[in-house]
Amino acid sequence: MTPTSRTIKASLGVAAMLVAFNASALQAKPDAAATQAVNGGKNAHASTADHSKFKELQKNFKTGPEVTEACLLCHTEAAKQVQHTKHWTWQSLDPKTGQLRGKKNIINNYCTSVVSNEKDCMACHAGYGWKDQSFDFSVEKNVDCLICHDSTGTYRKLPGYAGHPVYKRVEFPHGSGRFVEAVDLKKVAQSIAMPSRSNCGSCHFFGGGANGAKHGDMDSSLQHPGKYLDVHMNEQGLNFSCTTCHATSSHQVSGSRYNVAAAVTGKAAIRGNVDSTPSSCQSCHGNKPHSEKMSRLNQHTDKIACQTCHIPEYARNDIGTELSWDWSKATIMDENGKRIVRKDSAGRRAFDSQKGEWKWESHVIPEYRWFNGESTYKVIGDKIDPTQTVPLSVVGGSPDDPGSRIWPTKVHRGKQPYDTVNLTLTVQHTGGEDDTALWHNYDWQKAIGTGMKAAGLPYSGQYDFVDTELTWPITHMVAPKEDALTCVQCHSKNGRLKGVPGIYMPSRDGNQWLDMIGWTVALLTLLGVLAHGAIRILTSKKEG
Amino acid sequence: MFKVIGGFIGGVVLVALLAYSYMGSLMFWEVESPFGVEETVARIQQNVQKVGNGWALSGLRNPGKAVESSGGNVLPVMMVEACSTKYSGPILKDDSVRFLSILMPCKISVYKKNDGKTYIGLMNAGLMGKMFGPMVGDIMAEVAEDQKKFILFDPNEPAPPMIKPAPPGAGGSAGASAAGGC
Repeated sequence: MTPTSRTIKASLGVAAMLVAFNASALQAKPDAAATQAVNGGKNAHASTADHSKFKELQKNFKTGPEVTEACLLCHTEAAKQVQHTKHWTWQSLDPKTGQLRGKKNIINNYCTSVVSNEKDCMACHAGYGWKDQSFDFSVEKNVDCLICHDSTGTYRKLPGYAGHPVYKRVEFPHGSGRFVEAVDLKKVAQSIAMPSRSNCGSCHFFGGGANGAKHGDMDSSLQHPGKYLDVHMNEQGLNFSCTTCHATSSHQVSGSRYNVAAAVTGKAAIRGNVDSTPSSCQSCHGNKPHSEKMSRLNQHTDKIACQTCHIPEYARNDIGTELSWDWSKATIMDENGKRIVRKDSAGRRAFDSQKGEWKWESHVIPEYRWFNGESTYKVIGDKIDPTQTVPLSVVGGSPDDPGSRIWPTKVHRGKQPYDTVNLTLTVQHTGGEDDTALWHNYDWQKAIGTGMKAAGLPYSGQYDFVDTELTWPITHMVAPKEDALTCVQCHSKNGRLKGVPGIYMPSRDGNQWLDMIGWTVALLTLLGVLAHGAIRILTSKKEG
Repeated sequence: MFKVIGGFIGGVVLVALLAYSYMGSLMFWEVESPFGVEETVARIQQNVQKVGNGWALSGLRNPGKAVESSGGNVLPVMMVEACSTKYSGPILKDDSVRFLSILMPCKISVYKKNDGKTYIGLMNAGLMGKMFGPMVGDIMAEVAEDQKKFILFDPNEPAPPMIKPAPPGAGGSAGASAAGGC
């Protein structure tokens, strides 16, 4: 899973809201990239250019696109490169099926869809001005360089601005009494750096509208993680940034949940060649990583993903992750018709009249699935069967497929609206201050009507709610090796892999005939020993 | 005669073995919670405050944090600490049983297991109290009755917020608000 795809999956307005409010928290400690740069007293990644000395960057920029124009004077190919990435297009083509996926096309069970909500959602787009379907993807100055390269932590994009940062001080959220200061574009432009955890995390940690909500294995705790949380990103240890694994070439970020390297074989390779070393554990560790003493474990790697043992639980912190979102409870008001907002015992969102009901959990034990790296997605307009739980993403793979491994996954359960006549999941207009926005007027009919019109889909005027599931492979928050799953955690009747089909596992599975043969042999052996002993005793007495 | 003595010794050994095997489960209870760890903790805290008899929260500890600091992982464990001076006072005043202060404050452990479920661990106060004479036995019997009320949950009630310990320096011992008087 790459930052690219994470951004594509990054959620709607509330996510951006959190981006805005958490950006400062993410910067509370020295920037991770800067920390990484200073390694053993050597400035390992020092740039050869001091951008504060460039005359092109001495202007008092008024807008983001003005900064991009200045960047492109030297970095002439950068915008063109970005425009070919998922960070820009929010699209991904499945080479096998031809299905167009990506945030622009899929429908999920978090905020559901970006369509008709672009002004809010694009707070996580690497561009400026995408406010509706008319956005021109060819305009280079609309590429947002700063969202990934800001090192000041002051560059914030709020929902409602179609991907622009705030150019003047604004109260946010409206009526809250809290204010977001106007961005100093000159200062930011002169302070650019390679992407750090702050940059990636400002969107990817807050997907789904809250810290840790979406992925479960990514949240703001990865900004300054301890060894227990992630051995690779541990600030006191290896101190990896996101791009250490998600190596980038021409702005293409390696590793994507749309094309996961699920079953990499062969020896470890040196990172740098994106084609031969995908963003995977094996890229550095090879597929036989255990020592001679533990070589038995190497026999597992053709069936078990590294993550299965080495990420025993995800969301291993107090932040937790969201496990379900029930949209059918949205628009329920109190007895006075006022909005209800309720938190759970740990202080996480639990109910909001605007959005419905959520369930959260920390230290979540994954659900395990066969996975070959290919997932299929429900895209806007796909037909559904409302009599069953609708899978919004299905991880591909099977026990018979040599390219499949048993992977840990997060399954996010939802209940969301669908058109009961056309049998399609609906697109709803949620964010905004207009009369049809759900979060403004609490009217499902108007919200769905506007959303479906923007998506170019027919709407019968009749809706209901259907259960949905969204499955995410888990790959971050790698625990120290001492905390990997032990044998008995899988090799037992009620172990972690009890529901995984198509594989014989000693102690989990039994074969009646095999068991009978085994016990018979054991019994005969015992009888043989006893008989032998008895004969020896008897013969020795006779001789004596 | 040999048979009688042999039978007696055999019986004693059998009882000793049974007691040894079941001692753990007699001394401590484990029950499954229908809620997650945080919500279970919050509901127990709410019950402690509602049950009367002088009960007050005296802390909330998370032993897992110490493991995390040393670079390791454990599934969540939280210990709700509660105390009632009505019960603790007489025991603490009696030199012969004052050593039982080691059991104070009363602890209720909430933890997750590898099956993903949340469990509550409690000491069997009633049984343990009987071992230390009538005064302690009577007190602990009452404590046991209150303990049962701590873990009675009404699922129709909304989840209360978890009461987190006051930060160090805000009064009380580390991780405790020192409200319980123990």
